Amino acid sequence: MNPAPAIQLAVNASGLVKRYGDVLAVDGLDLDIPAGQFFGLLGPNGSGKTSTIHMLATLIRPNSGSAKIFGNDVVRDAVATRASIGLVFQESALDRTLSIAENLRFAGLLYDLPAKVIEERSAELLALFGLEEKRNRPVGSLSGGMRRALDIVRGVIHHPKILFLDEPTIGLDLPNRRKIWRFIENLREQTGMTVLLTTHYLEEADSCDRVAFIKNGKLVQSGSPAELIASLGRYIVEIESPDVEALAQRLMPSLGNHLRDGNVAHFRYAHDDVSRLAGLQTEPGIQVSALRWRQPNLNDVFLWVAEGKA
Amino acid sequence: MAHWRPVYAVLEREVVRMVRQRTRLVSAMVRPLIWLFVIGAGFGAVLQQAGGVSYQQFLVPGVLGMTMLFGAMLAALTMVYDKESGVMRMLIMAPFPHYWIVVAKMLAAALAALLQASLLLVLLALLGYLDAHMRFGLLALALLATSAACAGIGMLVAAFTRTLDNFAAIMNFVIFPVFFLSGSLYPVNRLPAALKAVALANPYTYGVDLLKHAVLGVLPSGMGADFAASTDIAVLAGFTVAALLVASWRFSRESAYEPMIRILTGKRDG
Repeated sequence: MNPAPAIQLAVNASGLVKRYGDVLAVDGLDLDIPAGQFFGLLGPNGSGKTSTIHMLATLIRPNSGSAKIFGNDVVRDAVATRASIGLVFQESALDRTLSIAENLRFAGLLYDLPAKVIEERSAELLALFGLEEKRNRPVGSLSGGMRRALDIVRGVIHHPKILFLDEPTIGLDLPNRRKIWRFIENLREQTGMTVLLTTHYLEEADSCDRVAFIKNGKLVQSGSPAELIASLGRYIVEIESPDVEALAQRLMPSLGNHLRDGNVAHFRYAHDDVSRLAGLQTEPGIQVSALRWRQPNLNDVFLWVAEGKA
Repeated sequence: MAHWRPVYAVLEREVVRMVRQRTRLVSAMVRPLIWLFVIGAGFGAVLQQAGGVSYQQFLVPGVLGMTMLFGAMLAALTMVYDKESGVMRMLIMAPFPHYWIVVAKMLAAALAALLQASLLLVLLALLGYLDAHMRFGLLALALLATSAACAGIGMLVAAFTRTLDNFAAIMNFVIFPVFFLSGSLYPVNRLPAALKAVALANPYTYGVDLLKHAVLGVLPSGMGADFAASTDIAVLAGFTVAALLVASWRFSRESAYEPMIRILTGKRDG
């Protein structure tokens, strides 16, 4: 036997291209995700996140490029690939007319699991997700949050090596989003599963080991959340002004590009000493109605990436 | 490579749903009995008995066939329901080739048809419409072959149907014509040439004919079976295989890949 490679790659994609008619959804995407990593794929709507996940999950074929999931080619070994992945879609994949237990039995049998194994795993997972009391309830009677939790249980009943979560908390309220995140954390702790996540709620990506921002089908930035946030600078400075355009033009040479949000301009600020900015208020020719600074977060990274100014 | 546990999963779900949807099961029994009692008695009064067969007796193979046709069609159309409700997401993510979904669904539709026809058979026996002269071995074969062929018709329709919105159209333009333009209600040999040509092209005709072989036999009056049993079996088997191949091809093409996946994934491309 060959010695195992130092780092096993859960996802190894290169040059992935997906076209829908004239629309280039994914444009030469390269992506490597080591096994066991919690990886966030972030980007604005229509940036190609879902198309990427669906190519990696064998559901759509790339026009060119290639991808391997734990060594299996997603086009040539689609069936073997599907055996190693779990996918939770944006929309439910459950049968509302069947009970929780019946849905899991159906899902487990589809993965060729013996009935006894399905029973055991259902019990474990339902306990982990706080659904064990409801195992005989029809899915149609569950709340949105419980249904999403069950959808994740359904997605991991076969113990996949990698779990794709496409906007797992979309449409849920805050308490339910938090619950879902706790479940996913517990699941990762217990199984060490690789997780590839897409989300709009960037605070949810804070706990990722690595995130990548995708725009117009291309990766534009990647790194740990802390690295990406640090790359923006030390502070985000928000300056409010009645004539924000003039202010921005004026400050461009010293502070660089800005993002505009109504009559507020956001600048990245690299220095530790923010107090130097206080002088702006007295500078002639600049009208400043308010001046604030704060530490950047992933939302800022997202906005700067989305505006193409990062 | 065969994937029997997933097939079993699909069959089990179909049976659970069938038993749970009582109205579907009850109407599957009531519909043929209404035809037998109302149409059978009504036309029976107008038509003279021919060759020792009353019109009601003549209708027995037809209503058995009707149960299988409706049962298989409704079960096959759960394929469309699954696309709309999302269960298809589970199926397309499972680790087997996508044509295997068609195999499983077609078997489930045939099973649903067979179970409903068997139940009707029990009711017909209780009501005294079966007698000891019938060829029960051939009847079992006819039920199997006709269920399979009806499932084939159902899968063809399901593979080419995107939403259940056009269910009424399917009733009007598929189920009713297939039923009426067969030998269910009248001997094929006595149909006018144009209708006869259509009936001959209808695979379901041969299922009803095989049922007639089992239930009525070949009668000198022409009220019995119209074709040789071997012809019936050959046509049914040939059609079933062809339907399975076409539906699998169509479904694999649809799932390979874009239109259906985009529906299933909410068309959102983020």
